[in-house]
Amino acid sequence: MSNEIIFSEVSKFYGEVLGVNRVSLNVPPGITSLVGPNGSGKTTLMNLMCGLIHADQGTISVRGMSPRDPEKLMRSMGYCTQFDAAPRGYSGYQFVSAALLLHGYSAAEADERTWKAIDRVNLREAAHRKVAGYSKGMRQRIRLAQSIAHEPEVLILDEPLNGLDPLVRAETIALFREFAALGRHVILSSHVLQEVDVISDQVILIANGSIIAEGQIHNVREEMSEHPSQFLIRCPDAARVASLLFAEDHITEVRLHADRMGLLVLTRSRERFSHLLNEIVLGGQAIESIVQADANVDSLYEYLIGGGR
Amino acid sequence: MNLWAKQVLTIARLEVRKAFLSKRGLWVYVLALFPAVIFLVHGFDVKLKRQRWSSQITDHALLEGVQAGETASDVRMRLGPPLMDREFGRRRRGEDGERLEEERYRHLRYFDGQRRYDFHFTNGVLKEKFEQPLATLEENSQVFAGVFQYFYLRLAVFFGCLGIFMNLFRGEMLDKTLHFWFLAPVRREVLLVGKYGAGLVAAAVIFGAGTIVTFLAMLWGLDPADVQAYWQSAGPGHLFWYTVATVLGCVGYGSVFLAAGLLMRNPIIPAVVILFWEAINGFLPAVLQKLSVLYYLQSLCPLPPPVDKEVPAVMRVLLAPAEPAPAALAILGLLGVTVLVLWVASRAVRRLEVNYATD
Repeated sequence: MSNEIIFSEVSKFYGEVLGVNRVSLNVPPGITSLVGPNGSGKTTLMNLMCGLIHADQGTISVRGMSPRDPEKLMRSMGYCTQFDAAPRGYSGYQFVSAALLLHGYSAAEADERTWKAIDRVNLREAAHRKVAGYSKGMRQRIRLAQSIAHEPEVLILDEPLNGLDPLVRAETIALFREFAALGRHVILSSHVLQEVDVISDQVILIANGSIIAEGQIHNVREEMSEHPSQFLIRCPDAARVASLLFAEDHITEVRLHADRMGLLVLTRSRERFSHLLNEIVLGGQAIESIVQADANVDSLYEYLIGGGR
Repeated sequence: MNLWAKQVLTIARLEVRKAFLSKRGLWVYVLALFPAVIFLVHGFDVKLKRQRWSSQITDHALLEGVQAGETASDVRMRLGPPLMDREFGRRRRGEDGERLEEERYRHLRYFDGQRRYDFHFTNGVLKEKFEQPLATLEENSQVFAGVFQYFYLRLAVFFGCLGIFMNLFRGEMLDKTLHFWFLAPVRREVLLVGKYGAGLVAAAVIFGAGTIVTFLAMLWGLDPADVQAYWQSAGPGHLFWYTVATVLGCVGYGSVFLAAGLLMRNPIIPAVVILFWEAINGFLPAVLQKLSVLYYLQSLCPLPPPVDKEVPAVMRVLLAPAEPAPAALAILGLLGVTVLVLWVASRAVRRLEVNYATD
């Protein structure tokens, strides 16, 4: 049985509105981030994986299971949705324990697992309060508790870090890493790209319902050979270095910093840029530091969505 | 216990409280208890009158002996002071069309302990005599049969089930909580049965209790001796079959509205269509009649509803099944219709998607 999540030519339409279009993906275990703007199809992909919606075309396999078989699938899957509501009148404790009872756990075991999950998200104090009275961050945490309470092999989280304070955010990220370290799938979406950049093993970039890039973040970057890399250079004679750089055709843009001791350089070839810098240094120009300015998903994403500008 | 059975029980247990105490469904209690309130008020009125009039009971034979043509003063002298003595005059044009003639009317009421007698005099002479029991078991039973078939089954149970069962899935869509259930490791069909079970328990308890309370309220104002005799003869059987019809009404209409809630967004459309179907059912061929919940329920009722002689023949067809089915067949037929409808609902719930934006 495959331990990957596989999308094969999956399309989903909401009436005449495109959800996702001919998506093919192989998601290995580890932390995978779905990145894209609002309406790009991130939640649609997640809902398709969980069987909350059904594909119009194509097939989906989650570790060998079909999303159309919730009885089997949801034993191994936890989904922390963006849907904010809990069944009417439920307390945080009831919200988690009711889901565990539906798994078939005995009342005692469900109680034990409920408290364990609630403790993991630090909500013990508020466990018997109604979910409807929770703050946004607390609702986020109780949903997370519910999704991890049965120790799923696949944990799917739609914008899981929204509304969390920095401390809880750090604890939550640690929890994701803990899950991933056990060989499980952790798939999350976020529009806070810096967070995704830091915690992900893989990234899937999605726009307008189509996958535009997937893989490890650095590999994705390598694949985008046309993607201009940005570098910040500090040097005493920035104007002279700028003129030397600009003579090369792979350099697409050079901006001089206001203090005339810094440069922002855009190049289409990291390799040739590296050789050029060596020659400049050997030619007697002092270079104090070189920093890559765009080594996060943000820049890559902007580049890809922006059509390779 | 089998996992599916355990899951059905868990779902039903989680849902049943909501089905009983949903703020959206409080009007269901009003529907269920409305006839009981009417019968209680009537019973209270009968008891009050009996208590008030018992101090002035007139001999039955004397009352029967009053004949048309007697004068009011003779009747009063023979029977004694009445419960009520009203007199009024009315002026009308004479035969010549000009002269105004005055007619004097008088109304005397007596009570023999069971019946009331009303004597209407015109210009001092007895013209009309009315005799009416204060309340009889036969009359109340007829009224109950009418209320049960025309109001309770056709409207109260019908709309009550609409309120309870349509909400089971559609309400979750509106509350944006359906994903909670769909993300559980539960077959959709098991979820359907669990939710149906919760709705059925709520509907059967509310309307079954409503039927029993209404039945007891119907007996409340009657002569205790008549009531006791009734309980020792047909009473328990009648109560049993009325309750069975109510519960089976919840079974049948519940499945229909559960399916409707899965197939349609607007509850008014299925309600009108099903109400219309049930209403015209009496005119349909026998085969189609059997695709109606009401056909089987009416077949189970122990007494036919009272139909006034002046009611047109066409309306009579509407009010009673053309050829009632035997009780066993009615129960099996209704359960068959229910299973068929639940099968359709299970197909729908498998296809159902969580897409709150469009609901």
